Amino acid sequence: MAILVDKGTRVLVQGITGKIGSFQTRIMIDYGTNVVAGVTPGKGAQTYNGVPVFDSVRQAADATKPEVSICFVPGPFASDAAMEAIDAGLRLVVVLAEAVPISDTAKMLAHASEHNTAVIGPDTSGVISPGRSKLGVQPHQLFTEGRVGIISRSGALSYETAKTLTENGIGQSTVVGLGGGPMWGFTHRKALQMFREDRDTDAVVLLGEIGGHIEEEAAVYIKSGYAKPVVALVVGRSAPPGQKMGHAGAIIQQGRGSAQGKITALRDAGALIAKSPEEIPALIRKELK
Amino acid sequence: MQLFEFQAKQILKENGIPIPKGRLALTAEKAIQISRDIHPPLVVKAQVLTGGRGLAGGVKFCANPNELTNVASQVLGMNVKGEKTRALLIEEKLDVAREIYAAITWDYPNNCPTLIGSSRGGVDIETVANEHPRDVARKRIDPCDGFSAYQARELATDIGLKGPEVVQYSTIVSGLWSIFEKHDAELVEINPLAVLRDGSFVALDAKLSLDDKSASRQSNLLNRIEQLPSCPREGLEFRRSDAKTLGIPTYIEMEGDIGVIADGAGSGMLTLDLVTDLGGKIRVYCEMGGEITPELMENTMLAALRVDNVRVLLINLIGGLNRMDEMAQGITNYLAKRPTKTPIVVRMSGTKQNEGRAILSAKGIGFFDNLYEAVKRSASLSRDD
Repeated sequence: MAILVDKGTRVLVQGITGKIGSFQTRIMIDYGTNVVAGVTPGKGAQTYNGVPVFDSVRQAADATKPEVSICFVPGPFASDAAMEAIDAGLRLVVVLAEAVPISDTAKMLAHASEHNTAVIGPDTSGVISPGRSKLGVQPHQLFTEGRVGIISRSGALSYETAKTLTENGIGQSTVVGLGGGPMWGFTHRKALQMFREDRDTDAVVLLGEIGGHIEEEAAVYIKSGYAKPVVALVVGRSAPPGQKMGHAGAIIQQGRGSAQGKITALRDAGALIAKSPEEIPALIRKELK
Repeated sequence: MQLFEFQAKQILKENGIPIPKGRLALTAEKAIQISRDIHPPLVVKAQVLTGGRGLAGGVKFCANPNELTNVASQVLGMNVKGEKTRALLIEEKLDVAREIYAAITWDYPNNCPTLIGSSRGGVDIETVANEHPRDVARKRIDPCDGFSAYQARELATDIGLKGPEVVQYSTIVSGLWSIFEKHDAELVEINPLAVLRDGSFVALDAKLSLDDKSASRQSNLLNRIEQLPSCPREGLEFRRSDAKTLGIPTYIEMEGDIGVIADGAGSGMLTLDLVTDLGGKIRVYCEMGGEITPELMENTMLAALRVDNVRVLLINLIGGLNRMDEMAQGITNYLAKRPTKTPIVVRMSGTKQNEGRAILSAKGIGFFDNLYEAVKRSASLSRDD
């Protein structure tokens, strides 16, 4: 089953004809993602990588019935594109763009929650169910199919962790990138809820970083009783306070959002704490024995 | 992106918010000249972005013109927590009866803007919220519906204002909202907002931070407002601002001897943690963001290697969006132009890794597949004599 995306999930690509959109669409199709349509306003009626292209999401939706969208549209236009997919009734929109203005993100997320659409991102690497389907830009050769779920704010940290698990013979059910913040459409907590119900997931790796509140929120959720083992790693232990560490949301301000606070909350909630991806395979093996 | 006080006040004024009479001085002579138009007593304020300016001595009062040369030359050049003062704001000193507070910022857990008011100004709002929570009022703004002026009036009454003061305060908060919305602000804050003896309201200080992710639609504003002359082409401030010009999103200097370059925020922080766990100390950290070109890779090496006391440079690449063939091209281009004796440790994995590694090998550059091995190697190189 996996979560969010599986073999056969019907995928729409917004921004399919751009440089990155077209390069990554080719890779997704080769991986097995079921891309049924693309949208680039002004390029309707063409085909790209063998995929029909439409001028609007509404037209694409009527003709090809996509369930989810991956949006390669750049920052200043990304929330408009995501709103279009939300209004067309798609259940999930993955927003990759890094530089989406905060005010656009707030409107997009408010709109999504009114329409019950899940938004992953912005500034995310996407979501991959290894061996089944990917909606994102992950280097998929580092991933392998299996029964451990990964939830990560950072894309690159999820690649690093999946690589280490794969090298240790532990595959992944679904790997979700939440994005750089400081606002998230999809959080650790929401992913934990889905992994809890997923019959293909036995344990969850939670990857967090300094700044924001979503690890603490996840800790509260885990503490209320979570049936599957959770291994957590929070990076940024050595980050200087007051500096944005590459993600807009990764900053310690007024003593809040430190790695230590998050680690303590997660440990108290019952998660096993790793200091680096290298320690994760042994912790998972111990829990699943 | 944070603006200087004098820039923030210019924008406040454009939006109808009263500010003290004042002008910018880059030299003590200019300060004297200004005092002929704006009469003492004066306030002399260091224009720096670092917080805690007042405690560091960056704000001085000046009762008569004779003192001004001394005071101005004392504050100019003053080092406020590592930031050199390059300009002064010279302002009239007003007759203040009491100080209050007004701001708009993002409420991140709730993903919406929020108005914040307090009957206590002149102190950090976090401190007030901890010590006197009942003196701080908040109003959440729906991101889709937007702001309505009655919310500012409610904020005013919530902090205990009455009658004409409600109107003055809420007009100022409405002005703050225009700024917040129009300029994609992360924070716009008046602290303190002075209530003068004559009953009028004036913004004594102003903070304005713009959302970096909106830079493309704020270029008009940034081109229009008065700027400080660019800083000298050396030193930390130059290296910081030049890193921005080179397109490096994150550039941080610390006090160690290892340079770190990463192509992801999370993997970069992990690298810092692992280096630190092994007893290594970071001198400079660069994170390159997404969509990295060979040119940016090359420029980032330039930025990291020109810093003094970098004994080893660790480059951790694990690309998804970012292509390893392009990164390898950037690394070999840099080394062809600027051969260096500083050891460079490359970790390369991810999209097009085989192509990237082949490019490195052809130039005799080694690489690691495993991050921990690369970190160990870097830490031990930094200790070699």
